[in-house]
Amino acid sequence: MLYELRNLKKIYDGRTVLDLEQLSLDRGKITSLLGPNGAGKTTLLEIMAFLSGPSSGEVWFEQEKVNFTTGKLMHLRRKVVLVEQQSILFTTRVWKNVAFPLRIRGASKAKRERIVEELLDLVGMGAFGHARAHKLSGGETQRVAIARALACFPEVVLLDEPTANVDVENQIAIERIMQEINQKKGISVIFTTHNMIQASRLADETVFLYEGKVARSIYENIFSGHIETERNGCKQCILQYGLKLGVDSPKSGPVRISIDPSAVKISQSRANASAENTFKGKLIQLTDEQSRVRALVDVGIPLSVLIPKEVFGDLGLEMGAEVWLTCPVESIEVF
Amino acid sequence: MDFLIDSFLSAMLLIGSLDPGLLEIIGVSLKVSCTSTLIASVIGVPGGFIIAFSEFPMKRLLITILNTLLALPTVVVGLFVYAFISRRGIFGVFDLLYTPKAMIIGQVILIIPIVATFTISAVSRIDDRYRKTALTVGANLFQTAWMLVREARFGIAAAIIAAFGRVIAEVGISMMLGGNVRGFTRTMTTAMALEYDKGQFVLSVALGIALLGVSFAVNLFFNYFQGKVRV
Repeated sequence: MLYELRNLKKIYDGRTVLDLEQLSLDRGKITSLLGPNGAGKTTLLEIMAFLSGPSSGEVWFEQEKVNFTTGKLMHLRRKVVLVEQQSILFTTRVWKNVAFPLRIRGASKAKRERIVEELLDLVGMGAFGHARAHKLSGGETQRVAIARALACFPEVVLLDEPTANVDVENQIAIERIMQEINQKKGISVIFTTHNMIQASRLADETVFLYEGKVARSIYENIFSGHIETERNGCKQCILQYGLKLGVDSPKSGPVRISIDPSAVKISQSRANASAENTFKGKLIQLTDEQSRVRALVDVGIPLSVLIPKEVFGDLGLEMGAEVWLTCPVESIEVF
Repeated sequence: MDFLIDSFLSAMLLIGSLDPGLLEIIGVSLKVSCTSTLIASVIGVPGGFIIAFSEFPMKRLLITILNTLLALPTVVVGLFVYAFISRRGIFGVFDLLYTPKAMIIGQVILIIPIVATFTISAVSRIDDRYRKTALTVGANLFQTAWMLVREARFGIAAAIIAAFGRVIAEVGISMMLGGNVRGFTRTMTTAMALEYDKGQFVLSVALGIALLGVSFAVNLFFNYFQGKVRV
């Protein structure tokens, strides 16, 4: 076990931004922390990077309980490195930025030169060694920041939304680097994202965070709505977009719901679809995701559906086609 | 007007001829001012850094006091130090009065608030991501602090330039604690005051031009230094 977090809470100005009962993360994997803005992803990364302590609870790293109060965290920080969402480079040359972790570890000049060159090549920035760091673009900055992080020879690399502010070319490069350092160097990679597709493409494991908590259901298809009880006692959630969904929840009034995309059924005709929570929509996007296909259907709101590949083959769906979606009551979580 | 132009031309001739008396005065000025700036920087830069990055009770009050001390009149510092180093003062036994050391003590007191407040301002503006980055790549506290100072170097250099400008141009402390002793504690400003009193307007103007020239040279040096490290 790499990390074990128990009853972890982080409170800022009286507001609980992180509240994790239990979370375990394994060594040697690529793990994604998936959640919307404000889910507590960055706060969690900073705690895991030992840059900030929790307000309460325990953090265990490699079976060792981390004591944030003593301030003696350098030996742990030298195993884990954080690359921030908007990385900042020291106002010097690119080369010196990457050499900084090596210099503070007392590496010889020859060793520094060899490693820096190697790392800049790895991130595709070999030609930029003598460039001024603050003249680089966002994507280039992020790649140099990753090279600098790797110069620490870490066991764990934490990346906070590593591709959030970069173009497609840099996004591909960064994702390749993440996979390469995990597979070739055996470094555990933990990254945050709000991109479900990126998480499923890169991560061996995904942790869903919502409002500071590990979400039981999949963070996807989240909508705001209002629950009303009908005359027959059934409850309906009326989404902001006018869509009505039958739900099974003791709650009433304003709520948020999530619809599990793997539980939504898709068919090409009404006859194949059951009556409850059935909507007609238009297929607007298809994405290949390992053993599944993700379909995005516009039913007034964009609804994501995960279809096993063997089922997808039988359905014969085409882009722009009219489809029917059924959301079983069990697939809807109210919170 | 002719009188002013004549004085200016005579002053230029005096400087051009490298008059030994003039060079001696410039030498004392530079020695005292550079020493006091160096000492104040050694105290003020780390002091400002610690104040900026530490949390302690009455921090705001301390910063307000330091800001107030920016307006400290030189004669007040002169009087204050005089009370301690005069024969009757508690440091009277060290016989410091009317020596360059006394001037340096007074000038250091005068400019520590300048160096400290400018440093506080410079390092407070540094993006917190620099601190986090240094820590996460494994820097210890000293290495992190050094890195932050490096990032704030232009602001800190400005603090030192401002402090040097204050001491090279001050007259109150130099006169009260140095005594304007020729060849020993006579600086450009005290000499100017004296020559003015004597009606030697030419030498006064020459010293004034020299003072501006020295300040210009120091600023050129710092600009060159900043250009060298701006990578």
